[in-house]
Amino acid sequence: MAESEEEVDVLVQRVVKDINNAFKRNPNIDEIGLIPCPEARYNRSPIVLVENKLGVESWCVKFLLPYVHNKLLLYRQRKQWLDREALVDITCTLLLLNPDFTTAWNVRKELLQCGVLNPEKDLYLGKLALSKHPKSPETWIHRRWVLQRLQNECSGQELKDQAEPRGDAVSRRRCERLQRALQEEMKVCADAAGRYPSNYNAWSHRIWVLQNMAKGNLKVLHDELSSTRLWVSMHVSDHSGFHYRQHLLKALSRELSQAVERDLHPTQQPNGESTAGASDDNHRNDVIPQHFHQEMELCTDLIESYPGHETLWCHRRHVFYLWLQWRREHVQGAGSQSPPLTHTDVLLSEEPCDDGSASQAMDVDCFLDGSKHGSYTQDTKRLKRGPLLPHPGLPSEHSFVSRIITGCRSPEQSRFAVSYRKWLDSVIVAQELEI
Amino acid sequence: MGTQVKDVIIKPDSPNTLLLDKHADYIAAYGSKKDDYEYTLSEYLRMSGIYWGLTVMDLMGQLSRMNREEIIDFIKSCQHDCGGISASIGHDPHLLYTLSAVQILSLYDCINVIDVDKVVDYVRGLQQEDGSFAGDKWGEIDTRFSFCAVATLALLGKMDAIKMDKAVEFVLSCMNFDGGFGCRPGSESHAGQIYCCTGFLSVTGQLHQVNADLLGWWLCERQLPSGGLNGRPEKLPDVCYSWWVLASLKIIGRIHWIDKAKLRNFILACQDEETGGFADRPGDMVDPFHTLFGVAGLSLLGDEQIKPVNPVFCMPEDVLQRIGLQPDLLS
Repeated sequence: MAESEEEVDVLVQRVVKDINNAFKRNPNIDEIGLIPCPEARYNRSPIVLVENKLGVESWCVKFLLPYVHNKLLLYRQRKQWLDREALVDITCTLLLLNPDFTTAWNVRKELLQCGVLNPEKDLYLGKLALSKHPKSPETWIHRRWVLQRLQNECSGQELKDQAEPRGDAVSRRRCERLQRALQEEMKVCADAAGRYPSNYNAWSHRIWVLQNMAKGNLKVLHDELSSTRLWVSMHVSDHSGFHYRQHLLKALSRELSQAVERDLHPTQQPNGESTAGASDDNHRNDVIPQHFHQEMELCTDLIESYPGHETLWCHRRHVFYLWLQWRREHVQGAGSQSPPLTHTDVLLSEEPCDDGSASQAMDVDCFLDGSKHGSYTQDTKRLKRGPLLPHPGLPSEHSFVSRIITGCRSPEQSRFAVSYRKWLDSVIVAQELEI
Repeated sequence: MGTQVKDVIIKPDSPNTLLLDKHADYIAAYGSKKDDYEYTLSEYLRMSGIYWGLTVMDLMGQLSRMNREEIIDFIKSCQHDCGGISASIGHDPHLLYTLSAVQILSLYDCINVIDVDKVVDYVRGLQQEDGSFAGDKWGEIDTRFSFCAVATLALLGKMDAIKMDKAVEFVLSCMNFDGGFGCRPGSESHAGQIYCCTGFLSVTGQLHQVNADLLGWWLCERQLPSGGLNGRPEKLPDVCYSWWVLASLKIIGRIHWIDKAKLRNFILACQDEETGGFADRPGDMVDPFHTLFGVAGLSLLGDEQIKPVNPVFCMPEDVLQRIGLQPDLLS
């Protein structure tokens, strides 16, 4: 066991080297951890590599951390020189042990700026740090900086490439690189979300990724909506995961509505006849209510299957609120009692299904057959999947709450149901009156 | 099927009186363990740690037990050429630690030991075109940093140094349907961020832009059967969230909407009778961070053994009176 200062020096330098050699030996290390081991028992390295897992025996951390910590601070105060390679190794060890050490991430930013590190390598270190510390705010902050830099690097290339004849291939490579980074980022977020419940930093980072790396990309939004569906169903207390879905619904309905606007104008015919484009509008406008409808159904299902989870009731509030907001903005006369004119209006109907027809599948084809809407797309077919209830409105929400309260044996479930009803009666009613 | 309620149970033998002397001893001794491994681990936030320790000592009337000269010298050596202040010597400057340093120097009434003009330049330089603030030169945006910026400038009496309309606009763009706020536009409401945003709107005189009833509702729903408050739905209660929620309720004039007696019981149960100090929850390890927020929470709840605390700055009211700062509160 090392005791004197020199012995500690030798020991620590060896351990730092062992860690970096482990990464060279196995570039696929995917998790780091501490192996509880109060004393060095054998004369062997405290760094253990088993398959893709890197472990550090705990006894050495109390030597290792202060050493790399002080070394980096001395360098930062210009009291001790470290070459670039040593800086890479020391910040790596330091950040795996203490990923909220902001200044160490900043040193790596400088190393990225001068080309010593590449963005993907640095993102990989962050991913490992998150495998042990999934919340670490500084690690997430650093990732955003690196991703922004990666984006700038790629768009910078574009400018240079324009003058070159083979610009297309380069720009395709650039695009693929960003795509890979985006997909990897979603994986890192999902992994961190699984390691710590309601991980605010992981989920708000995922929103940032959507907003900055997948601006309005419908495919990404759709993929995210379907890939998180099962996840939230298995994490019914994860408020952050559900909030992410609320964000997706909001973003999707905004993007789809804008797509409708864009399509509408160029295809409008002077004689008023609908064109293929206009039919597409109808289809797109149907897709949005479908998303909300399916989300409310998912929410109902989860509330009934897992009583007493506040998160599910919060989710219901937000989804219902977003739905009403979208309907107010995009469907004229949504609140009026006039008979439905188009199949969209039928879907939007607030009439509660208490006439027995609720148990039957509503055959959407009936509405479409013989109607003026000729186009029938893949998305419209989704409507046929299950028994289709009218879209949610205040009456259907009230009957949902009453049904829950009547059959309820969990005091928490009743409390949340009553609170939801109070919210409908005050917040939502007040809003509807304002209009 | 039973549901696991995410809450704690307060044992009948939990502490139920305030152990002020123990807490003062705990904080006074904390800084003397500088070789401790834990102390190294938390050095990246040292400046805030000192602010927590000194503020809770001042609230308990024990500030004189701390080493004033040593702390002032330390802060001076943490100011960088750019004007910003770092968590500790050799670390990089950041708005978080700039605010903590300015708060400490305000407690000691010696703000001029640092270059105040440079601090103002530093804060001004971090404002972005959309009104938001970066935490440091690397550009991370967060509503926390908007609060740090205006709180720092308010304590320095230099609120006119930044584009206020834009700053307010950005914070309001982070307001959610539930009345709460998140770290950036579209982010989930979070009690810590709500504290920063209501604090920001208080300092800038814009509290009328908050939907106080709606936000108050959300904040009250943070109270659990144990009396403790959590920071988001289905999270465990925590002394620090108890402060952030309670202070936000105080700022928007809705503190009477929660059960104060139950919250007081919860906070008292988080004390460690042997070592002194408060933990996040009953039975956990204590630390200076939760000790400040425990004591400050009890002060907001009206405990007369503690000095009155200001809900916006989390500093003793008498210090703010001396500076001449009276941030708005809704009634």
